[in-house]
Amino acid sequence: MEPEIRTMSRLRRLLLLYCSFFRITALVVGGGLAMLPVIEEIFVVKHKLLTRDELLDMTALTQTVPGIIAINSAVYIGMKIGGVPGALAAAFGAVTPPFTVILIIASMFPHLDPKNRYLLGIFAGIRACVTGMILVTGCRMFRRTVKTPLECTAVLIFFVLAVLKVSPALLILAAIPFGWCYVWWQTRRLAQAGRTEPAVRTPAEADKDGEGGK
Amino acid sequence: MNHCIVLFLQFCKFSVLCFGGGYMLIPLLTAEFVDREQVLTMSEFGNLLSVAQVTPGPVGLNTATYVGYVNAGFFGSLAASLGLIVPTVLLGCSAAAGINRWKDTFLVKGMLKGTRLAAVALIMFAVTIFFGMSIFTQTIPWEALGAIFKLERPVLPNGFAVSVPGIVICGAVIVLMLKTKLPTTVLLIGSAVAGAIFAVWF
Repeated sequence: MEPEIRTMSRLRRLLLLYCSFFRITALVVGGGLAMLPVIEEIFVVKHKLLTRDELLDMTALTQTVPGIIAINSAVYIGMKIGGVPGALAAAFGAVTPPFTVILIIASMFPHLDPKNRYLLGIFAGIRACVTGMILVTGCRMFRRTVKTPLECTAVLIFFVLAVLKVSPALLILAAIPFGWCYVWWQTRRLAQAGRTEPAVRTPAEADKDGEGGK
Repeated sequence: MNHCIVLFLQFCKFSVLCFGGGYMLIPLLTAEFVDREQVLTMSEFGNLLSVAQVTPGPVGLNTATYVGYVNAGFFGSLAASLGLIVPTVLLGCSAAAGINRWKDTFLVKGMLKGTRLAAVALIMFAVTIFFGMSIFTQTIPWEALGAIFKLERPVLPNGFAVSVPGIVICGAVIVLMLKTKLPTTVLLIGSAVAGAIFAVWF
């Protein structure tokens, strides 16, 4: 363990967590994974409270558990560095800036002229930009997640159900048992394949076996 | 007060269901607040997402604060933001240590696989919602398009058209994202300026 961890008092650690996440969400536009380099700089390089491997584990974890990625990272990093109080300090630090900024904008929004051409144009421009950004993100997710034709069909069915106004919450809940069945079926198929054939084979051997089977 | 509790619980629900990041909130929020409760119209929701996208902070949190404010003022936004945090903190405190150990079990693997597939489909659906707000002038008329399955010509509603500035900006953003590594901030500011310029010209 680095000496810095021991010398830093509990209260200072909480304060550091609050201030760091305050800074991260206040300055990083876009949120989510854009925060990662900044987190690395503060906690790994500067204060040495986390190792790079721990951060990598954390990143994988924050994307698997439900919730907004920014808050997930705050909670899990806070947890690691300062226990439950640390998690709370980091989460509140992450929430404070967007909360204040949006509250100010929201209280002013009725006074902004919604008929103003330029303002409408700016909003339209941003909406078009966000469309492109979500499309690219969605396609990247699709490429990363969907590996077999069956999975592709499942995504298509979920999409059609969403268009038919099935509640998205219901869809996600229904996807969980579907995932169980799918993984069970997949592992069973792999196990059966493993029982009849040796685990590692060259393609030539596989061809020969296939012909021999016929 | 009652309203705030309802908001808090609603956002707890969204937080628990939000697999795959902030964009997943879009279909959840539109289903709840635009279609069911009708406290927001689709175009208001679009403006709100634009604001959430350009202000610093995670999109999900910004949207929660705003929706909470529209519903029930200051305490509404407080309730909504807390609703997003509380389940994560609870999960983090109880399951953070456990999930790494359980990662390879059938239950966790299946849940992740299923929810990820649903998340991809719902983000695609969020894209179609956004198509209706940017590259078309109205939301996509799915009912009318359903006529294609009956081998009829779909009757599009009046005023449904393609918006030229929307297509140009959206296409440019896609190309820039795929070909360059420009930070999203630059893309957002650029398209805001482009939108204003289009508004002057047309």
